[in-house]
Amino acid sequence: MNNTKAALKQTAPKKKKRKIVSLDKKKARSGWFFVAPFVIGLLIIYLPIVLDSIVLTFNSTKTVRGQGVQLTFIGLDNYKTALLDDPNFVQTLTSGLRQLVIDIPAIVIFSLFIAVLLNQKMVGRAAFRAIFFIPVILSTGLIAEIDASNSLNQYMSGNTGIETGENIGSSASDIISAADVSILFSSMSVGSGLVQTITDLVNDVYNIINRSGVQMLIFLAGLQSIDPAIYESCSIDGATSWETFWKITFPMISPMILVNTIYTVIDSFTSADNTVMNFINNYYNSTSMVVSSAMAWIYFIIVFAIVAVVAGVLSAYIFYQRRD
Amino acid sequence: MTNNAVKVTKETKNKIRVEFERTSAWKKFKLKYLSLNFLGMAIFKIFRLVLLIGISYVILYPFFTKIASSFMSPTDFVDVTVKLIPKAPTLNTYKQIIIENHYFQALFNTLMISLLCGVIQTFICCVIGYGFAKYRFKGSKILFLLVVLTMIVPHQTIRYSMFMKFRYFDIGYFNFGILKLFGDLDGISLVNTFIPLIVLSVFGLAFKNGLYIFMMRQFFKNVPDELEESAYIDGSGTFRTFIQIILPLSVPMMITIFLFAFSWQWTDNFYTSTSMFFPGRNEILLSKIVQIPKTLDTNYAGGNQFSDAIRNTCGLLIIAPLIVVYLFCQKFLVQGIERSGITG
Repeated sequence: MNNTKAALKQTAPKKKKRKIVSLDKKKARSGWFFVAPFVIGLLIIYLPIVLDSIVLTFNSTKTVRGQGVQLTFIGLDNYKTALLDDPNFVQTLTSGLRQLVIDIPAIVIFSLFIAVLLNQKMVGRAAFRAIFFIPVILSTGLIAEIDASNSLNQYMSGNTGIETGENIGSSASDIISAADVSILFSSMSVGSGLVQTITDLVNDVYNIINRSGVQMLIFLAGLQSIDPAIYESCSIDGATSWETFWKITFPMISPMILVNTIYTVIDSFTSADNTVMNFINNYYNSTSMVVSSAMAWIYFIIVFAIVAVVAGVLSAYIFYQRRD
Repeated sequence: MTNNAVKVTKETKNKIRVEFERTSAWKKFKLKYLSLNFLGMAIFKIFRLVLLIGISYVILYPFFTKIASSFMSPTDFVDVTVKLIPKAPTLNTYKQIIIENHYFQALFNTLMISLLCGVIQTFICCVIGYGFAKYRFKGSKILFLLVVLTMIVPHQTIRYSMFMKFRYFDIGYFNFGILKLFGDLDGISLVNTFIPLIVLSVFGLAFKNGLYIFMMRQFFKNVPDELEESAYIDGSGTFRTFIQIILPLSVPMMITIFLFAFSWQWTDNFYTSTSMFFPGRNEILLSKIVQIPKTLDTNYAGGNQFSDAIRNTCGLLIIAPLIVVYLFCQKFLVQGIERSGITG
């Protein structure tokens, strides 16, 4: 780069005042112009906020009238408070992480399954798609918050109806009775832990459906981008649809699985039923904002580590089609 | 196939007539429908239909119960025989929420903020995504990694410093800011206004904007370069090409992103909450109307269910305009996503 610049300077006649700009440079300049909003925002808004947030967790704050916020450096005390002094945080964190580890595969597998179904030609496909994407738009934020603290659905779908409200013993919102599932599995002797996990998932199906909307969209987009010619040649060679799925669809969609896994994790931070985030939010509102920041960073870093490991493992198995 | 019965006769100079024995309808029927293959397909199709209808039911059922319970009067909640259809339907719940919780004012305010944020975010993410997709410059890969970073660090994690940033707004870092140089120590308070959300939108840093930039980038990567090249050859500049060629092309994708941005801002309960950008009680937004109106606040046997029903009715009132928007835009949602061809 520098050499060519120097060469240009030497050879360029001095009377020409206008600088000669190569096409590459010109394009780079317009590129910078297009991404300029993001760069400016990153530098003056986002990075300061993130840095402040990290710095804050090592300080205690005091708001002084007329002088803004004053910081006193206290080292790792906030982290100590979060991890050692608070009786509930570690417990909430471990159970929340366990829930996350169970939920992610469930959401990814479910959304892949539904995306494959919705990608097939059938009567009423448009209507089904419209219904399945309703949660993306309508069951977020406020509505999810209202739903999370809502006993009405459970009363209404319960066997005894809304009138008693007494059937709380077994959560009545279950689509299939969890008892049936556990009876089915108990005769298989696969261990009570697994049975418990599966029953929890079955009970949680509404939640899983609600949270897999965007993932479904991403999978659908991925499925659409697979060349139909591949399927055609497969069917000519006599492959069954089961084989086609595992030999063609699954490898071709594998990059989407990684994307969706990461998206699901990120999305879980903002979902209303995330116990850890709710705990942190309550802590933020009630006790200490700074300690809650420390908690949020601990949570984020642990989840990020999990995602990094999962992404590292998955990316070894991902198949990228070469497009030449 | 046995078409030895085909007869070809020449009718006129330019016309021939082909006569052949048709396969009988029964034979066709037998071949088509009385096979194991068809049986398998039929079972699969029925299974698929039942499954999809079942899941649709799971998705729609809460809405049915919410709508049903929103029309119930307090007596319906203690009536044993009432399940879904109220015996004494009333519109009182709606009326009281609309009047006492200042619904229309909240609707208007939220509409303003959602429209503003939606339009700005859509446009800005489109511009940024275009820059990342079509131009290669030094550091573009690192910059894109930073976009991904803004996507994966949730704003909940950095909420305190984000609040502080806009409460004591100043360009710079904690102990060093431009305003501090001029002696204004506190900075400007931007909370209780729309400005924080608009600032975040303008710089492509608002809720899930990383995702939108990512989607736009994937979309523009699939747009052939020849399109712009031909425009350049015809003498159009970079920005004219962008506005006249690229923007009209990306309308379906932009509608998808607008739908996301608009509706997620609409139902947002984080940025517009009292512990974030709107700590004052005077700003009426939809996130603040989910509460029990005073005249409906009663204490009786079915009180819990009734207050839940009221909260649900608030939710219904909040999403009612969104449903209309969704009905109009859902076609674009799928189309836009399909065309983006997001591929890792």
